[in-house]
Amino acid sequence: MAERALDGLRVVDISQGIAGPYATKLLADSGATVTKVEPPGGDYSRRLGPFPADIPDPEKSGLYIHLNTSKRSVTLDVSVASGQVVLKKLLANADVFVVGEKASTLKAWGLAYDDVKAEFPDLVFAQVSPFGATGPYADYDGNSLTAMAMSTIMYNTGAPDREPLVTGGEPGEYIAGVQLWIGILAALENRATNGGGDYVDVAMSDAVACADEYNSAMYAFQGAIRRRYYSRHIFGYPNDIMACEDGHVVVIPGAAGFRSPLQPDTVSPMALLLENVELDDMPLFSQMGERMIRWQEFEGLMEPYLSTHSAMEIVMTAQALRLPFAFVPNVSDLLEDEHLTARAFFEKVESAAGEMTIPGQPYKMSVTSPKATAAPARGSANEAVLAGELGYSKDDLNIMSDRGVI
Amino acid sequence: MSQLPLEGVKVVDFAQVFAGPACTRILADLGADVIRFEAPGRMDVTRNLIITDNDGIDHHWLRSSYFVIRNANKRGMLVDLSKPEALEAVRKLASEADVVTESFTPRVMANFGLNYEKIIETNPNVIMCSLSGYGQTGPMRDNSAYGMGLEPGSGLSSITGYKGGPPMRSGLSFTDPYSGFIGAGAILTALQYRRRTGKGQYIDLSEQEAAIPIVGAAILEHEMTGRVPERIGNRSAWAAPQGAYKCAGDDRWAVISVTNDAEFGRMAEAMGHAEWKDDLRFATVLARHENHDALDALITEWTSARDHYDVMHTLQKAGVKAAAVLDGKEILFDPHFKARGQFDVLEQPKLGKRPIPRHVAAKFGRFEAKATKHAPTLGEHNDEVLKEIGYTDEAIAAMKESGAIGTEPTLAVPANLVSMALKLPYDRYIEHGILQAIEPDYREQLGIAD
Repeated sequence: MAERALDGLRVVDISQGIAGPYATKLLADSGATVTKVEPPGGDYSRRLGPFPADIPDPEKSGLYIHLNTSKRSVTLDVSVASGQVVLKKLLANADVFVVGEKASTLKAWGLAYDDVKAEFPDLVFAQVSPFGATGPYADYDGNSLTAMAMSTIMYNTGAPDREPLVTGGEPGEYIAGVQLWIGILAALENRATNGGGDYVDVAMSDAVACADEYNSAMYAFQGAIRRRYYSRHIFGYPNDIMACEDGHVVVIPGAAGFRSPLQPDTVSPMALLLENVELDDMPLFSQMGERMIRWQEFEGLMEPYLSTHSAMEIVMTAQALRLPFAFVPNVSDLLEDEHLTARAFFEKVESAAGEMTIPGQPYKMSVTSPKATAAPARGSANEAVLAGELGYSKDDLNIMSDRGVI
Repeated sequence: MSQLPLEGVKVVDFAQVFAGPACTRILADLGADVIRFEAPGRMDVTRNLIITDNDGIDHHWLRSSYFVIRNANKRGMLVDLSKPEALEAVRKLASEADVVTESFTPRVMANFGLNYEKIIETNPNVIMCSLSGYGQTGPMRDNSAYGMGLEPGSGLSSITGYKGGPPMRSGLSFTDPYSGFIGAGAILTALQYRRRTGKGQYIDLSEQEAAIPIVGAAILEHEMTGRVPERIGNRSAWAAPQGAYKCAGDDRWAVISVTNDAEFGRMAEAMGHAEWKDDLRFATVLARHENHDALDALITEWTSARDHYDVMHTLQKAGVKAAAVLDGKEILFDPHFKARGQFDVLEQPKLGKRPIPRHVAAKFGRFEAKATKHAPTLGEHNDEVLKEIGYTDEAIAAMKESGAIGTEPTLAVPANLVSMALKLPYDRYIEHGILQAIEPDYREQLGIAD
């Protein structure tokens, strides 16, 4: 097998759902050995689906298949003492331990960082939780929605006369997963240069707040409080999704799309695109503040062109004028996209639901490019790991299985 | 101060705007020495965005909050690469770098002989990361790309929007910071490999691709059922009720997300409506999905009489997932973000003390990944960096003389006119509801007044 960047790294992961599992997928696809420890009923994402023909089956959950590639699965009830003993044997051979529970739950299980650090001084103990292990909301529960709400992103997304809108696809979970991945790698780097394991505490709310573009900065530097306004940027309009003949396009004039007020004699790329150079002389067209405020009238100037051209024609023409317009694909469009196909982005993995196409790697590397192999069946590595590596006998495994520990 | 993990790692940073600088801000926060480059005729364009106090006065390029928050902890040089002596200095820095980052479309770096193939001639084990909109290969490789186009381009907007409404963007260039985070993780992964084998490599990061895994469940739903997922506002197949609910006050909201019957029971009791648990319209998961509108109306009766933080605390203390929807001011005062140190107060030249948001979310036991050094002014570290690579005072003076390095931008028109043009009509924005408010005493409120 080809060499991978993280070959030899050993990870034990008891997190469930999206954030923790996405972090360990990124490690596993780069070669780390990730032992996914699931409760005997399985990671709860096995119940969330989507499922083929909408028939629930824990081995056919699309979410699970997507997020748990390249891992091996061991079932173990870590909420009981018998399971905790087995888990600690796993930790003795691990570099990284990933948990997705709140600090109070871990404490009740005897698995908080303070409970294990003396025994495993070189372990990187990585925790992702809705509000982090410290602070006034540490015991609060949450998910992507609560993180998006706390981060200011949600307040500034949506229509001004309606409720704030959350971004689709549980992005708070993924951002937290990526920040957890960064935290784990940083702690490993620190272990290599300065020595010692560490505690890595990622709050989902904090992870999303790190992605704030300028909402808090507008207050901290201007005293201005932004409001959602059709998801628009404060510093320019358009820069938004607009309807065209056969769907939608993202209209983005970029830095040089309109005539600069400082260079009044030029013809702008936006006027060329709309096939009407007289537009440049209208303040409504060429002045940013006017466009922002009188946007309905401005859209009236765009509409004759947009409504009579396809997304393909519009984006290709705009790009030829160096205007950074973009498409608005749905998931079906993405799967058929020529550019993504040319880059071999999507990956195929085997699963109990048959061969599935899953989203590919978020980056490519020239020597050790990450790659996904199939997500594991529930408990499929029990024997290999518990008997093969930890030395439990067949009888031991039968007893633990009877009592619901594995 | 404790040692940081990337101390001694040199990053030569040609990245611009948002995604790339978010990536290298993370490396800098972890202790790397990040040196970023701008050109006199081509400053980072974000030096034109969100100018402090929106006052139209001069030196706007030193007063951009957008630039300042993303470039803390880095060093900056202003070099004119059309001058051979400037190009030579930059190539020397690249030849000694551990990591090179850039965010242009594919042809730009090659024009300067700073593409990966050229750099490895003198620096064979360098790690180089290109962050671009659509990647280095494929038919769209040369498309010009802005972050606001890449969130829709990744499929996210097709599942973002009100029910029955058009696709929508997040109110920020969402995939920019996200792909910057991915870039930082990819570089850390490459550093692990180099530590083990001594070998560097090239990382090709497409911002479009980086974000597609977020729509993974929707992609698999399409494959498994043939459906193309629709826009459903704030609702979810995995929770009901779920939504943003109106609270007391002007434009205040709280989100609530209830996963199962037990949590629903706790919510009903916390709202003083234990009877909802036995109401056949709401008693089961399926019934709550079916009668979501009716339930929302009842929940809103309760939330609309209460402050959004009260809603959050009351429900959370009862064991229900809930949060206040915070605006750009509230997050700066929130006790959670305060306690966890989300904002580091730094003294920024010309701007005084300012809270700078974290880019590494993780809290570590052995070190702190925080902002400690202000973002570079234009060309602030020209001399310092050149001396470190052996340039004499005379050589540096000659470079200043020829314009190879400098500290002032070259603008097509007088600077004061540009500064004026960047002033946004905020008073009219307030009238139209684009801004909620402007508070002139904000520095006193934040405790950062001079």
